[in-house]
Amino acid sequence: MNFTAVSIAMAPEHLLLAGIVALLILDVVSGRARAALPLAVAFVAAAAIAAAWLGFTGWTGAPFPGQFVLTPPAAFAKAIMLALAVPVILFSKDDFGEGEFYPLVLSSLYGVCLLASAESFLTLFLGIELMSIPVYVLVLLGYRRPESAEAALKYLVLSGTASASFLMGASLMYGSTGSLGLASFGTALSSPDLLARTAVVMVVAAFFLKAAIVPFHGWAPDAYEAASVPSTAYMAVLVKAGVLVAAARVFGTAHVAEPLVGLLAILPLVSIVWGNLTAMRQPGLRRMIAYSSIAHAGYLFFAFLGDGPGRFQAVVFYLAAYGVMNVLAFAALPSNPVDVERDKLENLKGLSHTHPFAALLIGIAMLSLAGIPPFPGFIAKFLIFKNVMAAGYTTWAVLGLVGSYIGIYFYLRVIQFMYMSPAAAATGRAPSRGIAMGASLLCLAGSIVIALLPALFLDRL
Amino acid sequence: MADSTILSLVLYLPVAGMLAIAAFPPGRDGLVRTFTLAVMVAQFLLSILLYVHFDPAVPGLQAATRLPWIPSWGVAYIIGLDGYNILLVLLTTFLGPLVTAGAFSAITKQVKLFYAMVFLIQFAMLGTFVAQDLFLFYLFWEAMLIPMFLIIGIWGGERRIYATVKFFLYTAFGSIMMLAAVIYLVWSLWSTTGITSFAFADLYKARLPLDAQQWLLAAFALSFAIKVPMVPFHTWLPDAHVEAPTAGSVILAGVLLKMGTYGFMKLGFPLFPDATQLATPFLAILSVVSIVYGACLALVQTDIKKIIAYSSISHLGYVMLGLLSVDLLGIQGAIVQMVSHGLVAAGLFLMVGMIYERCHTRELAAYGGLAKVLPVYSVFFLILTLASVGLPTTSGFTGEFLVLMGAFNAAWRHTAGIPVWVAGVAVSGVVLGALYMLWFAQRFLFGAERVPHGPVVDLNLREKSILAILLVAVFWLGLFPDSAMKRTELAAREYQELVSAPRTPLATKLTGSLPAEAAR
Repeated sequence: MNFTAVSIAMAPEHLLLAGIVALLILDVVSGRARAALPLAVAFVAAAAIAAAWLGFTGWTGAPFPGQFVLTPPAAFAKAIMLALAVPVILFSKDDFGEGEFYPLVLSSLYGVCLLASAESFLTLFLGIELMSIPVYVLVLLGYRRPESAEAALKYLVLSGTASASFLMGASLMYGSTGSLGLASFGTALSSPDLLARTAVVMVVAAFFLKAAIVPFHGWAPDAYEAASVPSTAYMAVLVKAGVLVAAARVFGTAHVAEPLVGLLAILPLVSIVWGNLTAMRQPGLRRMIAYSSIAHAGYLFFAFLGDGPGRFQAVVFYLAAYGVMNVLAFAALPSNPVDVERDKLENLKGLSHTHPFAALLIGIAMLSLAGIPPFPGFIAKFLIFKNVMAAGYTTWAVLGLVGSYIGIYFYLRVIQFMYMSPAAAATGRAPSRGIAMGASLLCLAGSIVIALLPALFLDRL
Repeated sequence: MADSTILSLVLYLPVAGMLAIAAFPPGRDGLVRTFTLAVMVAQFLLSILLYVHFDPAVPGLQAATRLPWIPSWGVAYIIGLDGYNILLVLLTTFLGPLVTAGAFSAITKQVKLFYAMVFLIQFAMLGTFVAQDLFLFYLFWEAMLIPMFLIIGIWGGERRIYATVKFFLYTAFGSIMMLAAVIYLVWSLWSTTGITSFAFADLYKARLPLDAQQWLLAAFALSFAIKVPMVPFHTWLPDAHVEAPTAGSVILAGVLLKMGTYGFMKLGFPLFPDATQLATPFLAILSVVSIVYGACLALVQTDIKKIIAYSSISHLGYVMLGLLSVDLLGIQGAIVQMVSHGLVAAGLFLMVGMIYERCHTRELAAYGGLAKVLPVYSVFFLILTLASVGLPTTSGFTGEFLVLMGAFNAAWRHTAGIPVWVAGVAVSGVVLGALYMLWFAQRFLFGAERVPHGPVVDLNLREKSILAILLVAVFWLGLFPDSAMKRTELAAREYQELVSAPRTPLATKLTGSLPAEAAR
């Protein structure tokens, strides 16, 4: 263990840890937590900058060999995910005046960062749990209705099942290959051994559960709906990002062989179709986004059909484009004193008259999530399907694209409500807060950069 | 100023205009209108400069800009003018000011948003025409949907939401199929030649096996045929036209429908020549069915807008027939017919809008004897009707005549696989066209005097100027087609070469095993 390596390579993690400590001290020392928000934003932004700096300088090394490794693409992945967390924290101000939100988010982010660098199943498990446990609390923290408790419990139980499945898979893997390193997954993939096969399936099932792939998706709509808007955004963007980055780490550049191709293609395809179909019928934005994120998890797992080297790039780029748009949609959502009312799609009717700027931003986010050019979502989807087709799975790619077509309608419906319907009856919509506006402008700037200069990201991932 | 700079200026002026409009204070609708008109006129004048500078003797791209964009994918930003798009660019910029001026009195709510959307669609349409890279083309192609979706959905008629969602979903389905084909095409180019490129010029070099060509042509053709629209993919068009505001109909008929035929001409047929040769009889029959079926449907409509909408289907069938003939006259005729239809249909939709603003109905049965009440209106309407029918000296004649010449030439000499009877039936479309348009004009303008909603005033100066300018273009193309045809000739020859040149299809089928770099 090398001290300089540990201190430099883990700089983003250290900054997050320092942030957590500082926030906890602040909470104890001063009763009023007004400084918590700027403090949290400052530490997360600093961690993102540190990660980006590590990426730009091309820092490569393993402070804990075999457990934690840093490569420039991993550093950029961390930078992107931390940067996505900044607007989420910014617009949480309306919902979480109190201080508990920030340390929870920061510790969850610590887990997300660990995942991007994990080199063994142990570190990976640590990262997954560190990321998930604060989120159970986050769901409950938005406790506004009785369903919140139920949803948090549901999420806890199912997510626990996923962890158990993951641990079981990892131990079988150890039994089969004699190693806990992530490279053993690649060995197990191509092994004819039944033990190794079972291990692979259990690990993949765990990822499917955590990422809410049909038929393991039941928890997502309830949890997304029960949580308050910033927590939903956090779950939809960063938890999903963490899980997918972890999956990309596990799969590495290993070639996916035939029997597993079916598993990796069919369930995500069903997710795309089912998520998109079910999203059409949702009355609330959060439930709609939940089903939409089930479909997006489907596209993301399609990336694993592609050849090894392009996989990590495709996943992280997609997460960046998808994340920035989801955060944008949530940040631009007008606040409302009644949480249930804020969520209703009906209440978005006529938004273009009352809040033209918010309507424009939500509209852009919806078109991008639908994958309509020239928005970033299209470029990300293009990359994934390009890789799938280049790997020779033309039929799966075409089916996936057709599945994505089904999704266009419900995104358009939101735009239709905002622009083509007469204004809804007075629902007590409050004007957008300046800070939420700032968060959405941040996302807008990010999405413009992704759309105009995708090469900036692609060359570095 | 270099031509490439002028082209970029023409392309990006609408974007600048849109951003400027956003900064206008609310409530200054008059200012927004004048400003939009000024920008559109400036854009048109600049594009005239491009037209004049365009050298008909130089093959390939002119006024081109090439910049790397996503190098690792082989995506480049390439725009430029050639014989394929020069006339269509001019058509788009020419219709821009007319659309703007035509909407002055019709659009009274959310004026800022409306003109922003008109700018946006102008940008996307021009971009689609000038893009010379498939990725860029696809971006612009899809981007056209969004402003049109809003234009129909916000300012449309009663069933506007149904119509606009139908329009969007129909076109998007074709686009998804095209996207799959685009990805496959570029990847096969890479795996056969080692070039990673989306540039049209490189893609023409791809030599694909016939079965791959057939699938790809089917995917591209579906997307383009929906846009044209060809029977049986046309059902979105009447709904979209009827519900759209006048400006929306004018843009739709004037430029948007040409995207489909332009796509066939620039991409669909030249990229997959072997499959095209196989599919020609089938596509030719579909074109003729579009011509005749569109005309028959136009004959029985009771809604004025629907008559013109169905006549568009019929007229664009000629364009397809001309392209399929792979005959020099036929191809050039197809291009002229595209422009001619753009002018005439735009004019007719503008005139329907003008009468609708006065009488608030589009039921043909409610009208009669307008010639006595609105003499100026009737004169303009009659001239446009005759242009639509294809009266010699108007642009409609040049287009249809050349297309039919080309089709017969190809059919007699068996050069393109068009059966003679198909070319023969296409001629009957001319007769049917005369029948429905003249019958329409007769019921509309002559006979017993019926004017819904009381006494109306004739055209004002703004409306007269719009129509007069439009007619100048119609007659210019009818009387002096030479200047335009000179500029399209080399492109037509290139198209001929690309489509008819025998290519040796690859013996080996493409396989899925690629080195790792392909995925990146």
